[in-house]
Amino acid sequence: MTDTPAGNIAQATSPAGDIVGTRNRWYLGLLLVAAPVLLVCWLIIYPIIAAVVQTVWVPDADGVNRLSLESYRFFFSDGYSLANLWITLWTTLVCAILLLLICLPIALYLRFSEGRLPAYVQALAIFPMFVPSIILSYAFIRVLGPNGMLDILLNAAHLPKIRSPYLTPWGPVIGLVWDHIPLTVLILLSGLGNVSNQSIEAARDVGAGRLIVLWHIILPRIGNSVLVAASFAVLGIFSAFTIPYVLGPAAPEMMGPFMQRTFRELYDPTSAITQAVISFGFCIVFGLFYVYSVARNQRT
Amino acid sequence: MSTLVDKRRIDWAGIAFAVVLTLVIIFPLIVVGTWAFANVWRYPAIIPQEFGLRYWGTTLSRQDVWTSITMSLSLSLMVTLLSCIICLPAAYAFARMSFPARNLLFFSFLAGQAFPKFGLLVAIAGIFLHLNLIGNFWGVVMIQLVGTLLYMIWIPVAAFQSVDRRMEEAARDVGASPFRVFWSITLPQAGPTIAAAVLLSFVGTFYETEGAWLIGAPAIRTMPVLMISFINNQPVIQYGAVLSVLLWIPSFFAILFARRVVNSSSFARGFGG
Amino acid sequence: MAVLEIQNVTKTFGSGSVRAVDDFSLTVGDGELVCLLGPSGSGKSTLLRMVGGFETPTGGSIRIDGDDVTKAPPEKRPTGMVFQSHALWTHMNVFKNLAFGLKLRRLPPEEIKRRVEAILELVGLPGYGTRLTHQLSGGQQQRVALARSLVLEPKILLLDEPFASLDQHLRERLREEVRDIQQRLKITTLFVTHGQDEALAMADRIVVMRDGKMEQVAAPDTLYREPQTPFVAGFIGTMNLAEGVVSDGTFTRGPFTMPVPVGDGAAILAVRPEALGLAPGGMGDIHRVTDFGTHGIVDVDLPDGFRFKAMVPEAREWKAGQKVDLKPRAFSAYRDNAVIYRSQAAS
Repeated sequence: MTDTPAGNIAQATSPAGDIVGTRNRWYLGLLLVAAPVLLVCWLIIYPIIAAVVQTVWVPDADGVNRLSLESYRFFFSDGYSLANLWITLWTTLVCAILLLLICLPIALYLRFSEGRLPAYVQALAIFPMFVPSIILSYAFIRVLGPNGMLDILLNAAHLPKIRSPYLTPWGPVIGLVWDHIPLTVLILLSGLGNVSNQSIEAARDVGAGRLIVLWHIILPRIGNSVLVAASFAVLGIFSAFTIPYVLGPAAPEMMGPFMQRTFRELYDPTSAITQAVISFGFCIVFGLFYVYSVARNQRT
Repeated sequence: MSTLVDKRRIDWAGIAFAVVLTLVIIFPLIVVGTWAFANVWRYPAIIPQEFGLRYWGTTLSRQDVWTSITMSLSLSLMVTLLSCIICLPAAYAFARMSFPARNLLFFSFLAGQAFPKFGLLVAIAGIFLHLNLIGNFWGVVMIQLVGTLLYMIWIPVAAFQSVDRRMEEAARDVGASPFRVFWSITLPQAGPTIAAAVLLSFVGTFYETEGAWLIGAPAIRTMPVLMISFINNQPVIQYGAVLSVLLWIPSFFAILFARRVVNSSSFARGFGG
Repeated sequence: MAVLEIQNVTKTFGSGSVRAVDDFSLTVGDGELVCLLGPSGSGKSTLLRMVGGFETPTGGSIRIDGDDVTKAPPEKRPTGMVFQSHALWTHMNVFKNLAFGLKLRRLPPEEIKRRVEAILELVGLPGYGTRLTHQLSGGQQQRVALARSLVLEPKILLLDEPFASLDQHLRERLREEVRDIQQRLKITTLFVTHGQDEALAMADRIVVMRDGKMEQVAAPDTLYREPQTPFVAGFIGTMNLAEGVVSDGTFTRGPFTMPVPVGDGAAILAVRPEALGLAPGGMGDIHRVTDFGTHGIVDVDLPDGFRFKAMVPEAREWKAGQKVDLKPRAFSAYRDNAVIYRSQAAS
């Protein structure tokens, strides 16, 4: 298989058309890419613009559309909405920090060792990618839930039961961290690939200890990858739905379940879309940075 | 070999990682697997009182389980098929043709990555509301189709670009028409990677929960959606366990066949690493 | 059988700014093997690709047996191309690689089998049909690529640096084999290379190309002995090319002088190392003597730093540091990119 799943499009230059006999027929290329591009325009770009417009350009009492920030004013003055936003920010921050604290050591270990044990560790770290989050949620309840496996084992050892994180804010945190380990490790590992063995050996040679090497040689080089991994985690966690819906508390709830409930159970699409736009706002910096990083990797 | 971990000493760090990760990652799944084959498992026994396949029979005789399996399969097949039809020609065009705004259009598929996914789904749902696509099979198809676009285009583009241009020229030289070259040379050469992309997109669609739940409920019940209601409302634990095992089968095939793509270094770079 | 006529062919890339091939004309006779020889960027590959149909000329025409194929796509041309990287289809075995073109021509299966086996015999790979391409060595892969072109019995065989990726030893063996096969089949062949050895060993005629233009076309021995321009003189074999001034029938460069019966002005004196004699004297210093056993090469530096190479039968007669005179036995003189004088022995 290929070594470049999303290769370097910038390389393919114009004489390309020759072999398929499409020289100078640029409209054929546009025609072939039209369907997916239009789909992106219709179902990604248009909804985002429509969402913003729809929430600030609302009909007033006379049915005339006018600029109004009413739905945003409501969100930011409503105690329940603010509590949901707060729990979302808290969960996102805690998850991002935990992910880096867990995945950076794993990635460092994988980068600087070879053999069967590291291969096993890597396989384990990537495995959650092949476990859908709904199965993970179910497994979480069976292990950490009330009378779950952990309780069974503690009971067998004559220890008291745990206070189950199920249906507390820590439930989504544990589930989301578990779910995001594979890609965080892969992104960090890819960043560590840019740190050459020689640069570390040179530092060790002039007398730097392991912590000095980590702090002064390795971390500065992978700073960008850490930011990318953090951005990816923030984007995924901020509006996560399944795991917080199944494992989290009923109130306050994270933005994902909150939006879903507002849309489907309260039949209030305008408020739901307002919540979506607010989510966009909180994530936009991370989103743009993340997309910029991916695009830059495609070019080089 | 190692610079930070000394070769001669026992790899304590590795052992610690291996033990902790096994406990955290594999152990919960083994518990679920055990539940699926437990006829009787009452607290506080450490292993089930009785093993057996009783709940497989009862789970598989439930109408809602069968409906969800059929629904999941037909949705995933439809989405994957449509995705192939619209994405593979586009990928070929991106890889091999020149046309105005090619790079801009290529990177436009990243647009969805810049926004939190569920927020985007809600924004799309706002539009589907006016089109009567809520609770509709085709609404779910559309929303899941959008989710496959990025990787069904980017991975095949790389696959097409890695096909040696001279192999195609040699085929033209011995008398093959452009279409025949594509069919007999380009496609078989790019085939394994494209197949992996198709498999990943099928599996990804199969497990897609949020769009199906937001757009499809209550009419469209896929296996993950059914699983949510089992978790929330089903007192018989084994039903969920059996459904989990069934649900995991596509992933098993993904591990078997698409692992090499996932493990390649450029896969992580595709995520910005 | 087949004659290839290239008339006034031009190929420009970009917005006409880069002239890869510039008003090029050549006729390749029936059964003839012509080499296109030149440094990279001289347009030789572009020219070959235009004959094969992979590029369309910006101007001019290409005819095969009188039929105009200038605008025909590759699949409509009676040409067979062997690529530098062999470009075998790695998802097919050897038999399928060879049979692909025959199947497209809807030949019956027995006929396909017969012709594939015959061609494998010809390239010295009998019974290799079931092998996968990656199970073959580099030389075998290139033979299969040759067979793939020959099995369709093309009127014109095109070879695009087919041995470039092989090691020296294999390259020499394969070029003899290819030459033998070409002569046995009497197939009109156009061959691109940047290696003069290859061109000299294989070609009936050699076209030396430079910046998209033909510099000279001639048989190998003529090209070696009577190069028409300093570029050809320098490109084929080793040649001392000394720039200097002629006045009153004498060429002068520093202390080195030589009677040359031409008009006054700047000139380039061209002497082969094997035609450059040495004698004790004072024109230059011996910088280094290299002993190859059968002969020696002596580097002689003029005071201005210009270095002559002279071939001597006995290297041990000369020492570094020794002062010598240069005595050309045969030479040519060039002015304005053309020959103005050739000494008797040189022609």
